[in-house]
Amino acid sequence: MGKRILIVDDSESIREVVSFTLENAGHDVLKGIDGQDALKHLDGSKLDLIITDLHMPNMDGIEFIRSVRAKEDYKFVPILFLTTESQTAKKMEAKEAGATGWIIKPFVPEKLLAAINKVVR
Amino acid sequence: MNENNTLANDNVTTFLTFILGKEIFATNVKKVLTILEMRPITKVPNSPEYMRGVINLRGNVLPVIDMRIKFGMSPTQFTDNTCIIVLNVTIEDEELQLGILVDAVDKVLELKESEIEESPSIGTKYKVEFIQGMYKLEDGFIMLLNMDLIFNSEVIILAKENESVAIDE
Amino acid sequence: MDKFRDKFIEEASDLINELEKVLLELESNKENPDLIQQIFRVMHSLKGGSAMFGFNKIDKFTHHLENIYDLIRNNKLQMTDEILDITLAAVDHLRNLAQEKDDSETKNNIQHDLLLVKIVDIINENVAGLEENKTIQPIVVASNKELSTYYISFKPYHNIFNYGTNPLYLIDELCDLGETKIFPRYDNLPDLDDLDEKKCFFYWDIFLATNQGINAISEVFIFADDQCKLKVHKISEINLLEEISFIGIIEETINNQKDINIDQLLLLTHELEKVFEKEQAKTEKQTTTTSHEAGISSIRVSSEKLDNLINWVSELVTIQARLSLFAQETETDGLLPIAEEVEKISRHLRDDVFSIRLIPIENMLTRFQRLVRELSHELNKDVVFKTEGTETELDKNIIEVLADPLMHIIRNSLDHGIESTEERKKLGKPNRSVILLKAFYSGTNVIIQISDDGKGIDPEKIKSQAILKGLISHDADFSKKEALDLLFLPGFSTAEKITKVSGRGVGMDVVKRKIAEIRGEVDIDSILNEGTTITIRLPLTLSIIDGLLVQIGETKFVIPLSSVDKCYEFKHEKLANSVNYLIRTDDHEVAFLNLREMFVIDGTPPETEHVVVVQFGETKIGLSVDNIIGQYQAVLKPLGKLYKKQQSISGATILGDGTVALVLDTNKLISDYAHSEKKIGG
Repeated sequence: MGKRILIVDDSESIREVVSFTLENAGHDVLKGIDGQDALKHLDGSKLDLIITDLHMPNMDGIEFIRSVRAKEDYKFVPILFLTTESQTAKKMEAKEAGATGWIIKPFVPEKLLAAINKVVR
Repeated sequence: MNENNTLANDNVTTFLTFILGKEIFATNVKKVLTILEMRPITKVPNSPEYMRGVINLRGNVLPVIDMRIKFGMSPTQFTDNTCIIVLNVTIEDEELQLGILVDAVDKVLELKESEIEESPSIGTKYKVEFIQGMYKLEDGFIMLLNMDLIFNSEVIILAKENESVAIDE
Repeated sequence: MDKFRDKFIEEASDLINELEKVLLELESNKENPDLIQQIFRVMHSLKGGSAMFGFNKIDKFTHHLENIYDLIRNNKLQMTDEILDITLAAVDHLRNLAQEKDDSETKNNIQHDLLLVKIVDIINENVAGLEENKTIQPIVVASNKELSTYYISFKPYHNIFNYGTNPLYLIDELCDLGETKIFPRYDNLPDLDDLDEKKCFFYWDIFLATNQGINAISEVFIFADDQCKLKVHKISEINLLEEISFIGIIEETINNQKDINIDQLLLLTHELEKVFEKEQAKTEKQTTTTSHEAGISSIRVSSEKLDNLINWVSELVTIQARLSLFAQETETDGLLPIAEEVEKISRHLRDDVFSIRLIPIENMLTRFQRLVRELSHELNKDVVFKTEGTETELDKNIIEVLADPLMHIIRNSLDHGIESTEERKKLGKPNRSVILLKAFYSGTNVIIQISDDGKGIDPEKIKSQAILKGLISHDADFSKKEALDLLFLPGFSTAEKITKVSGRGVGMDVVKRKIAEIRGEVDIDSILNEGTTITIRLPLTLSIIDGLLVQIGETKFVIPLSSVDKCYEFKHEKLANSVNYLIRTDDHEVAFLNLREMFVIDGTPPETEHVVVVQFGETKIGLSVDNIIGQYQAVLKPLGKLYKKQQSISGATILGDGTVALVLDTNKLISDYAHSEKKIGG
């Protein structure tokens, strides 16, 4: 079944490749160019998954995750973040903000879908 | 190039090699800032021939020296391979940037201390003090240059009549 | 994937442009954490994207750069000019890499290797001691011999599935870390009737041989640490998974449905290690962290900010020149008036900003007052220091340089210029002598004069001194002015003995050189027994001049507008056929310098040439050029040490199209001309 997934990344090419992969897999994709911008999609409608980058201008990923978790409607939506960093501190920070897990960049479409299938059922 | 070696062996020095005419020279990469494509050079009037002029490097004025002339060859003819190596050199205790015009850059080369030979005091037409050492190739050698000294001196080539004097020393 | 690649190239070039912009800002503001953060973020985006779309070189490159900026933003590394230079060079290189079609570009490859070496060097030199820092790990590649063995006991709580965590996935991730031996345990599995498929009844014993630290292992479980019982132990410094006997013992334990006891396990591995006599040759690399303490300097913040402001205005003026050029070339409707407006505004802005940096010269006078008081006392002379025009303003940078030479001039006056009280009495001069410092504006120059009413300088005495020192020949015929100018020759000093006051080795030549550094001129005049006057002519400001952009052959020159009197057009023949380089303009005869000849510029002059008449003091001369391009605000850049012998060019400026134009030192050209005239004439 197609899911409703929000992808937040300041890089257009990453956004495109993620949404292309997800749409091909039959999902519905919403996009945000940074944390600030993505908040507009949190209008109470159902979301099955949020995928967000961590380093973004205006509102970075950590702050965005916090904002999502602060909303009653989205307290339990799985949130995966995209990261190239293997630094524990950053992952801990994201976890404390409320993230569910992470996807290491670079990824191939199969790996992305596999990671998504783990959290979206 | 294998960058891991740099760490593994303390005695490795990295050089950038470049070509003037048929000869290969090298400078320690520590002296090198970057390599630039050719761009228009503004000749400063009444300056020595080897000082080809000045170029704009990110809003600053960078003097460019024609290494071929400095090494006693004909002035550089511009080709697709011609480029400018930007160096940090110390001249009279003052650090400054300058560009050198070379026929081509060759490669980045890591040399172990043991691979570097002392420069012979004879048999080269260049003054010994400018050559830090030599690296033997199958069909020739690379001269490792001491860039600071080169730009502190007007003359690099041994004049013919001085050659015998050099040998006597 | 290809269309995403193209998208990325587009995006990368935006990012690279942004990077360059931020770096240039950083140049004048090195400590700004926001800028560092911004650079880090851009590097990070570049890295992420390039890795995604197979730009491996960019990936590798930005990876190291990102590390550097990560260290800087965490205050583990100090931002330096070196790093900035490298990063700027890297920006150019990244731009080439993004455009690169294949690997055949040799120059790119060499540049790549070169910059990579330099970047890695920076990291190694500065942070080799930060062992805990994971960011340097990719550079230090551990060999297989350095594998250690870990035991991991992973017992998920029954409800782990509720969190959306799949234990098998975590185990997969562990497998990515190295070689593993995994033992699933079913001991807790209930009877089939009680089996709740939503609950997890498995647990795992895992042995992992890896070169990664314990942190990397714990990290795998970050998101599950409150959903399981986890134990991680390092049990050996070697890879035990290769030892069949070890695995055998473990398998036996597990087959007996026994729990693994960590103490027993450690005993076992200890025994095994001894038996195998494996070398644990671990050479701990002794590294030292270079601590970068911020240098304490007494720079006043306000003036630093002021310098920044000036730099920005200079940049603005440069970019405005580009805009004007662009507007003229494109002929887009309405663009030209806007460009002209911008030019007007930036001119105003420039004038205002530069006026901020102007400070009245009275700021430096106190020390001269003191000097005169103390020194006259010491020398037993009665001297008063008077000033005029102290409200005259000069660029603060000029004032800073000026203080020393002025000090020297005043000292000379006190020591050599002013007679002893007895001498003055004999000459019928007033007891009290006067040193006067007078400042005033003259066009775009500021003139500072220091005069005394002392014994003056005897030109004959100077000449004989110069002959004695072999500086001039016996029969040289010198005017008084030329004789006085000899004082500025290096190593010349008229003091018969070196006194404590004037010191040793510092002569008027140093004064002249110092003042030349700030584009000033110094002149000396003296009347025997009446006194000496030293005149210093200075530019109002150092960094920007209004100029006339002209062209000779391929080379462009800027002539300072302040010295331009008038411009004329002449047919080439007329100039070529002129007698003694004299031409008739309006109703005067003016001598002109054929710059093309003087500067040995190749090519043929155009049919119609231009003569720009410039003036310095009383002298006017013409300068012949091919073409006058127009007015130009030139941001002055020094030509640098290598061109220090170059006299007729005072600097350079970057034009709108990025090429370099040379700024003519007209004052120098004129005074040289005047001198040569005298010599030819005399």
